Amino acid sequence: MNRTIRVDWPSCAARGLCAELLPERIRLDEWGFPIVEGEVTPELARLAKAAVSACPHRALRLVAAR
Amino acid sequence: MLLAGVGDGPSLSAHRARFGALPTPDLDAVLSAVGAAAVAGRGGAGFPFARKVAAAAAGKRRHVVVVNLSEGEPASAKDTALALLAPHQILDGAEVVARALRTKEIHVVTPQERPAVADAITRAVDERAAAETRGGRGGPRWQLHSAAPGFVSGQAQAVLELLAGRPGLPVTAWQPEAISGLDGRPTLLSNAETWAQVAAVLRLGPLRYAAHGTFAEPGTTLLTLPHESDPDTAVVVETAYGTPWVSVLGAAVDRPVLLGGFHGTWAGAGVLAGARVSRVDLQQQGLTLGAGVVLPLPTGQCPIAFTWEIVDYLAGQSAQRCGPCRNGLPALAAEVGRLATGNPAVSWTRIAELVGLVERRGACAHPDGTARLVRSMLTTFDDEVGLHLAGRCGR
Repeated sequence: MNRTIRVDWPSCAARGLCAELLPERIRLDEWGFPIVEGEVTPELARLAKAAVSACPHRALRLVAAR
Repeated sequence: MLLAGVGDGPSLSAHRARFGALPTPDLDAVLSAVGAAAVAGRGGAGFPFARKVAAAAAGKRRHVVVVNLSEGEPASAKDTALALLAPHQILDGAEVVARALRTKEIHVVTPQERPAVADAITRAVDERAAAETRGGRGGPRWQLHSAAPGFVSGQAQAVLELLAGRPGLPVTAWQPEAISGLDGRPTLLSNAETWAQVAAVLRLGPLRYAAHGTFAEPGTTLLTLPHESDPDTAVVVETAYGTPWVSVLGAAVDRPVLLGGFHGTWAGAGVLAGARVSRVDLQQQGLTLGAGVVLPLPTGQCPIAFTWEIVDYLAGQSAQRCGPCRNGLPALAAEVGRLATGNPAVSWTRIAELVGLVERRGACAHPDGTARLVRSMLTTFDDEVGLHLAGRCGR
């Protein structure tokens, strides 16, 4: 089952590591906050987990895609 | 139905004299009645109440019931009206469902900026407690809370934060509160009018409840409108679904009407003229009734300037917690302002881009509601928008 990345917006401080670690799915808006596009396919799962755990504010979560 | 007893005053004795004793349905009876009557949440989102109860009922831990009277929207007055005129209608709904869920824990959240609401609810809860004591029964434990002023303080997650003893600001909901709400417990949180509608359904039964309204949409809805001759005064009316809009709005039915309040959508001039009050019909046209705020565009006002004023207000009401909202709403308000004032630097593309940048990118629905309003302005008033882009207003 595919998953997707959800942002805990109040926690996000626009550090931008996620976009560096998972450019396949995350880019940054003009203020530096993540724009998440598309689901996390099994091939991307490892990179996505790395991006989630690299967030200094723990503002990302992998959740089931709806 | 909700306001039937207004002439008798707000006391518990008058309420019981008119409406009889509190009904005592079990959970299955509650679910089938509110399902048959198609009760939907009246806080704005319109989620089916029966599904919410079923989700909460499936939870194993002790249930929590929450009555949300915190109307953050300044243009809305329906929950205030209910609290002042028919508080027991609201409290009955919460108590009947709490009993069916076998919980005694009921929280009631009132808006600090409308102190009369807390007074009315405190009085009503005291009356109920006194009646329970006289009857020798153990009633619910009513716990009252006061939500800080602000547009977003009435949002469900903000209310749960307040109940948990933290600042009443929106946080990310990883699960619906019916599954994991206060302290992770199944929490049935609904708007005051929803609870009052539930009380009416459970007292009358779905068949008699459906004596008002239409087959698809039984019952009534509360609407808040500006007073015809004194627009700063809000008027609350209880309207059966299927009522022609013209009998609600009078001559204003031909004007553009903002439906659903500051997070709502614009019905263009004449759209409501031949139509009836129906959430389903509105939804088919991409419109929403939200929490029932109905604002006809004041005569002679420019709809773009009117919308700008609201967007500017909403930008100021951001809780400043989520980056896209904190940055995006002021930028959006500024750009809509350029449009409204015919500033040549305005860019339609930039407005559309900012709408996209704030939508679904926050803990609560505040950015989404603001985006919805702007989007609706762009489509409903495309002629006026075109004029403004060319530096003219036309009013």
